[in-house]
Amino acid sequence: MATATCPPASSRPDFFRFVACCLAALALLSAAGGAAARALVLDFERLEHPAFVVHDLELTLEEGGAAARLRIGALEAGGRRIEGLRLQCPRFRLDADQLQCAGGRLDVAGLSGVAVELDARLAARSGTLRLELGDGEALRLNAAADGVLRAELRGVEVARLGALAPLLAGWQPAGRIDGQVEHRGARAAGRSRFDLNWREGGFSSTDGLQAAEGIALRLHGQVDGRAGGWDWQAALEWSAGEAYLHPLYLTAGPRAQLRGRLAGERLRIDEATLELDGVERVAGQGEYDLAAGRLHSGGFGIARADLAVVGPRYLAPLLAPAQAEGLRFAGHVSAGLRVEDGRLAELDAAFEQAGIGLEGGELAFGPVDGALPWRAEQATEAVLSVGGGRWQKLALGAFDLHARLHGPQVAVERVRIPLLDGALVFDDLHLRHGADGWHGSGGAVVEPISMPLLTEAVGLPPMAGVLSASLPGMQVSPGEIVLDGALVISVFGGYLQATELRVLEPFGVASHLYADIDARNLDLAQLTDTFSFGSISGQVDVGLRGLELARWKPVRFDARVASSPGRYPRRISQRAVQNIGALGGAGAVAAIQRSLLGFFESFGYREIGISCVLRDGVCLMGGLEGAGGAGGGYALVRGGGIPALNVIGYNRRVDWFELVDRLQRVTESNASPVVR
Amino acid sequence: MHSAPRLALCAMLLAITSACVTINIYFPAAAAEKAADRIIDEVWQLRDNAGQPARPEGAAQ
Amino acid sequence: MKLVSRLRVLLAALLFSLAGHAAAQNNLEINTPAISALQKSMQQRHAQLAPLYASGALGLARDGTVALRDASSVPLAQRGQINALVSAENADRAALYREIARANGRPEWEADVRATFAQRWIDRAQKGWWVQGAGGWVQK
Repeated sequence: MATATCPPASSRPDFFRFVACCLAALALLSAAGGAAARALVLDFERLEHPAFVVHDLELTLEEGGAAARLRIGALEAGGRRIEGLRLQCPRFRLDADQLQCAGGRLDVAGLSGVAVELDARLAARSGTLRLELGDGEALRLNAAADGVLRAELRGVEVARLGALAPLLAGWQPAGRIDGQVEHRGARAAGRSRFDLNWREGGFSSTDGLQAAEGIALRLHGQVDGRAGGWDWQAALEWSAGEAYLHPLYLTAGPRAQLRGRLAGERLRIDEATLELDGVERVAGQGEYDLAAGRLHSGGFGIARADLAVVGPRYLAPLLAPAQAEGLRFAGHVSAGLRVEDGRLAELDAAFEQAGIGLEGGELAFGPVDGALPWRAEQATEAVLSVGGGRWQKLALGAFDLHARLHGPQVAVERVRIPLLDGALVFDDLHLRHGADGWHGSGGAVVEPISMPLLTEAVGLPPMAGVLSASLPGMQVSPGEIVLDGALVISVFGGYLQATELRVLEPFGVASHLYADIDARNLDLAQLTDTFSFGSISGQVDVGLRGLELARWKPVRFDARVASSPGRYPRRISQRAVQNIGALGGAGAVAAIQRSLLGFFESFGYREIGISCVLRDGVCLMGGLEGAGGAGGGYALVRGGGIPALNVIGYNRRVDWFELVDRLQRVTESNASPVVR
Repeated sequence: MHSAPRLALCAMLLAITSACVTINIYFPAAAAEKAADRIIDEVWQLRDNAGQPARPEGAAQ
Repeated sequence: MKLVSRLRVLLAALLFSLAGHAAAQNNLEINTPAISALQKSMQQRHAQLAPLYASGALGLARDGTVALRDASSVPLAQRGQINALVSAENADRAALYREIARANGRPEWEADVRATFAQRWIDRAQKGWWVQGAGGWVQK
């Protein structure tokens, strides 16, 4: 046995030195002849080539060079390292012209029993290498004498790429690739064409937030080596499968055309166009940092996206995932975006008859037309013309919105939203979007709205009067809007004033509203007439402290209704007395002077007083101060004049919902007053 | 003669009530834990869970 | 003499009211309509969340939220819905912490309430659920 050790190559080594060394060794082997030298071992400690480095290469030639075994401790190429590579060639041939390995077998970490067929013409620098990986997987590499290099892939498992490329390993790539890659010309100035089909494809990040399944994707195009880089163009057709790219769910269909340049770790996309369902055209360009794995800079334009399609698919999951299912979109939007250093730097959106609203019509705006420019580092102005809107049962009129935008800040000098015959006006709105939500301040004014229109719109019995508000100190913080000022309604001959208004958690299940309400000199005649409660003349003051409305229904308050001070006629009709009695439930109101009831249409009274502390669905009732009746009752009406009448309640704890229910029944049944 | 002790009383009352308010400034961690547990019981239906295994038996009887 | 006795009565009353304050301290106010509404909403959602906690798709995060930690076991088409579910749950949780602080007249307690809840959600998570500790996700 002979052993030849080629020394570690020092500067700029060459692959051909290796081949030359092999040939020399082979010559040595055949020259030596005889049984003693039937085998030869070539041992390379380190072999360097600009494209790869080989450590601990051991080539054993057996049977006088007719068979060979190759062992490589480690192979480093393209930043990757493959260890423990073994190649056995039972039929081996190496001479000045030909390198052949027939019926060979390759074993490498994670891959064993690969059938290898190599036939290379050294002088012509041509040859074919076939690797059969079993189970229909094959790779054929061919170098033609005219310098064309061709690779054909058949059913190659993408998972193997994961084993070869550590970057891909975390993505669990799956599926098979068929196709071919062809390269002609010098390495750095040649042209490559590729046409690859990925089938049954998939991948998944470890947290499952970026994943795809059942993918069929075709990628074809060409790459031209030019000036130290590569000009490339490609077409991508996604024909089957689905993907989840957090937070977007995508399905097959999109096609893309791309063109650009690859230099070093920078992948430049000069032009990309995308065909996407619901969008007329998407075009973009950018620079992708392969090393960092992010878009360094880029921009793309979206022409006439149909919001009804792209809204629920792309916008809702990105902008409002919690409400995604309840959002409704309409109209079109065109947009341009710019990304710099991986962050959104510019956005220009143009709306065309666009609309957005919550399912059920609680809140909606549209159609909206106009432009919304936004810059991360620069002030801009958005001008939107809103055709109308809806808030609960109220229709909002058309208005123009001029907003100054600057990074996370929005400022609106004044916006006037027509509401019935009045308007909702916001002044000096300054909002800022922080990590936890919106913060800001401003002022709000409600220009007088006539009550007959308002009550009709919200489905209440018609009331005369006017509603207006001046809320100069509005404060917005996450989950809270505080309105400093007063909302005033002149109604029923008196007025009602709401102060300490606070709207909490406006966009959730816990949305509720706080207010203190004070009403003065409400004319009972108008009030009882409006609600068909019989007839009471006189005036009352109402205090509703700590009123809390959840979903527009009162859930908590300290209420007190009492006759207003002053001189005015005070009469209560028989009907109203009966209704008060009915409110108390059977036998709840006693001490009605029944004997008189039949004879008189109405009775005089001195004062009316009723209080209710609402907590947990129970109204804790009380009446006139210091006028408790016998046996723990409380006076609601204290009689006066002739005939006089006292109404006394005994039930102090009344179920609120039952009370509301009774009130509703009483007012409904009295819609047409019955006179006995 | 009457007003002096009354004033003193008022002052004391004020002092004590204001002291009352300052007590609350510290976050009542134990109370919060108890409140959290009560809400978690409700949301995760933990108290009902204990009763659930018994239910099928009751239905079988 | 009469005044002294009156003073004594008043002091006793004050002490009582102080005791009342102290007693009130032992319980945080959580019986408000808003808190009940949130509780109910979260309870209803829990039926959908529970299997996701058990499968490890969702975990209880250190900041008192629910986090999508490993969606691999969920069909692709449903991952978006689960993300929506998580966002809705977290919106409710944020509102709950704010509301508890508010209901006790101390909006500034929100962060403390959140921290307390974060710990209790984690402490009381069922066996097999994933919770986020200082060193990352661990299975209980």
